Amino acid sequence: MPDCSATYETEVEEGQNKRVVKCKFCSSIILTPTTAAFSTFEYDLPVMKPNKDSTSPPETENISYFWAVKDMFTFFNVGFSNTVGNTKYLTCADCEAGPIGYHDITSKMSYVALPRVSHSDPV
Amino acid sequence: MAKTYDYLFKLLLIGDSGVGKTCVLFRFSEDAFNTTFISTIGIDFKIRTIDLDGKKIKLQIWDTAGQERFRTITTAYYRGAMGIMLVYDITNEKSFENIKNWIRNIEENASADVEKMLLGNKCELEEKRQVSKERGEQLAIEYGIKFIETSAKASIRVEEAFFTLARDIKAKMEKKLEASNPPKGGHQLRTSEPQKKPTSWLSRCTLL
Ligand SMILES: Nc1nc2c(ncn2[C@@H]2O[C@H](COP(=O)(O)OP(=O)(O)OP(=O)(O)O)[C@@H](O)[C@H]2O)c(=O)[nH]1
Ligand SMILES: [Mg+2]
Ligand SMILES: [Zn+2]
Repeated sequence: MPDCSATYETEVEEGQNKRVVKCKFCSSIILTPTTAAFSTFEYDLPVMKPNKDSTSPPETENISYFWAVKDMFTFFNVGFSNTVGNTKYLTCADCEAGPIGYHDITSKMSYVALPRVSHSDPV
Repeated sequence: MAKTYDYLFKLLLIGDSGVGKTCVLFRFSEDAFNTTFISTIGIDFKIRTIDLDGKKIKLQIWDTAGQERFRTITTAYYRGAMGIMLVYDITNEKSFENIKNWIRNIEENASADVEKMLLGNKCELEEKRQVSKERGEQLAIEYGIKFIETSAKASIRVEEAFFTLARDIKAKMEKKLEASNPPKGGHQLRTSEPQKKPTSWLSRCTLL
C-alpha cells in the first residue's frame, strides 16, 4: 500500500482537505472540500479485501494519515457499520467498500483513512 | 464551523422480514460468498446529502433488524424518526396485510406527526405478483400517505421514494416554521413598521 506523506501534503490546505474526498471504486462523494482536519496517528484498520473465513480476527493494515471529522453529519455520503466494541467502521454509501475509516463512539470523532479514498477537484 | 446542511431528517425502514428493507437501503447483492469485514458485521445506517429546491438535506437512514416484529418495536426505537418507509413485498400477500399492524404500531409508538410512505418492493417480479398495484394505492389513500412500487434488485424508483419522503418532511417542517414564526412577530408588529417582516420582504424580492 502506498502510504506516502509527500503525496498527501498537496491535499492539505490550512490543515483541512483542499479537495473533494471520494470513494476509490465508485467516486461517490464522501467529504466536500474544507470539512475535515488532517491528522496523523497510527491505527490498525481491517483490510478491505474479502477474507476467506469470517471466524478468524480480521487482517489489518497500519494507517497513519486521516481526515478527522467532528460531526458525523458533516459527511456528504457515508455508511456506518454496526458497533464493534467502541467502534463503528465507515464505508462508501454507494458501493459499500470499506472500511474507509472508523468512528469512535466515546469521542464521537470519525476518521477517514487517506490511503483508502481518492481526492479530486470539485466538478 | 459552519453547518454544512439546512435540514437533517432521520428516516426508518419498517416492514416484515424478507420484504427487502436492507436491499432498499443498501446495495443489492446476491453473492453471499464474497464476504468482507464490512459485510460480516453489517451496516447500521447511512448518511446521504440531497439537494431539494436549493436546500441541503442530510438524510440519516436506518434499517431495522430482521428479527424485529411490530410487537417488539417500541417508542425508543422510533425516537427522533421524522419519516418512515413502510415496506411490503408485492409477491407476498401476508407482508401487505401486515402493513396495517405496522401502521398501528407506529401510531402507538412514534411521534404523531411522523411522515409515512408505503413501498411495494420487488415490483420487477410481475409473474409472481400477489398484491395488485391498485390495492397498494387504495391502502395508501386509506391512510392518507404516498405510495410507490420499487425494485431494489432492478434499481427502480428507490431513489425517487427517498426524495419524495424527504420532500414531504421538508414541506411539513416549513409549514410548521411559518405557522410558529409570523404570529410572534405579528403581535409586536405595528402598522407603522411594516419593514419588520424580513422573510416576506426577502421572498418578495427574489420573486420580482
Ligand atoms: N426479486 C427481488 N428480490 C429482492 C428485492 N429486494 C430484496 N430482494 C430479496 O429479498 C430477500 C430479502 O431481502 P432483505 O433486504 O434481506 O429483506 P429485509 O426486509 O431486510 O428482511 P429482514 O432483515 O429479515 O427484516 C433477499 O433475498 C433479497 O435478495 C427486489 O426488489 N426484487
Ligand atoms: Mg434486513
Ligand atoms: Zn463506492
